Amino acid sequence: MSTIQISNLRKTYGAFAAVDDFSLHIPAGAVFGLLGPNGAGKTTVFKCMLGLAHMAGGEILYDGKPLVPQTFEHIAYVPERSALYEWMTVAEHVEMNRRAYSKFDSKRAFELLGHFSIEPRKRCRALSKGMRTAVMVALAFARNADVMILDEPTSGLDPVNQRQVLSLIINEAARGNSVIFSSHQIGQVERAAESIAVMDRGRLVLEGTVDDLKADRKIVEGIFPDASYSLNGIAADPHVARVDRSERIARLLVLADAGEIAQRLTDAGATGVRVLDLNLEDIFLYAVSPADATADVVAKAGSS
Amino acid sequence: MPAVLTVDARSGVPIYLQIIEQVKRSVALGILQAGEQLPTVKQLALDLTINPNTVARAYRDLERDSVIETAPGRGSFVRAEGALDSARSAASDVARDALALALREAKSVGLSRSDVAELIDTALDRWFPEER
Repeated sequence: MSTIQISNLRKTYGAFAAVDDFSLHIPAGAVFGLLGPNGAGKTTVFKCMLGLAHMAGGEILYDGKPLVPQTFEHIAYVPERSALYEWMTVAEHVEMNRRAYSKFDSKRAFELLGHFSIEPRKRCRALSKGMRTAVMVALAFARNADVMILDEPTSGLDPVNQRQVLSLIINEAARGNSVIFSSHQIGQVERAAESIAVMDRGRLVLEGTVDDLKADRKIVEGIFPDASYSLNGIAADPHVARVDRSERIARLLVLADAGEIAQRLTDAGATGVRVLDLNLEDIFLYAVSPADATADVVAKAGSS
Repeated sequence: MPAVLTVDARSGVPIYLQIIEQVKRSVALGILQAGEQLPTVKQLALDLTINPNTVARAYRDLERDSVIETAPGRGSFVRAEGALDSARSAASDVARDALALALREAKSVGLSRSDVAELIDTALDRWFPEER
């Protein structure tokens, strides 16, 4: 069991800050999804967690202690890019891992390779992208690690094998181990992760449990008789995170109390007032797209 | 437990609420009977491919609402007493919320009170003809 505390992490490449002021608490036994657009800094966070990248600032603690060589025995990692040796067979990778990690379970590794229909005698150069991902996942889940760090663990896999990976993650969580994973397939994060963090341009922009974010965040939408409507101060409500106005329609991103805001919108003269649920993809897109991204959109400060 | 539970993970409705609502509905409809055992948290998480803590949260709330009870080491069961009442009252909560939503929609598209009353009378005749 490992609790992970990341505090004020900063990682720079020359003058460029790939990750800045990034803090995250991951309780033991959690499945945590790290989301973000390409280049947001997810892989950099993972590399810092694994000691593979030198931190410019901040600290990362496992059960209150900094990373030491012995910690690696407890952390399994699936990198985003293949880390397999092209000239070696899959079975030779199993053997290599058995020698490297004392808790590695070779029998389990071959069993998992079987689930993914991978022939262990094959050389890695003969494997497709998806098969390489599957080999790395099988090797990682045979490690008996307490912490799994998975960077795009379903990349290139078909839907059946994607589901297999999700089941492995859920099984790990049920055993009390922690899993931190990234995926561009938000539907998978939505299923397997209890909590998520969204990164954008190196910073944490949103964090919470998936179910709480869905319960609280709603779109409240209403139609006004003409385009020169007033929102009577609704936009200044602390629960209103964003106001998109287009012609006669007002669309509000609400962080809590959507029913109350809907009532106020009706009182302000709007008709057809609706409260719309947001799934994780919607929540993610709102978190990473600036409010002034389109001409139709007026930032909160400019309306009301 | 019969295979009545399904979740739509991509929906905007929290997964734990989907589970709670379906269990209550199943109890109210008699699909789940008093004393019947529910799958373990781990089993349901694996069956539905969802996070175990999400299932545990749903079970905790169902326990709080007196619909199920958990015996340590034995599992979770539909409560012998009170489960039906609390499930029925939950079902009536759902109906009340749906009605409130429909009325807000009616008002918001400009129907008058008498228009709405007429619509409701028609609907009552359709669904409760025996109690006219």
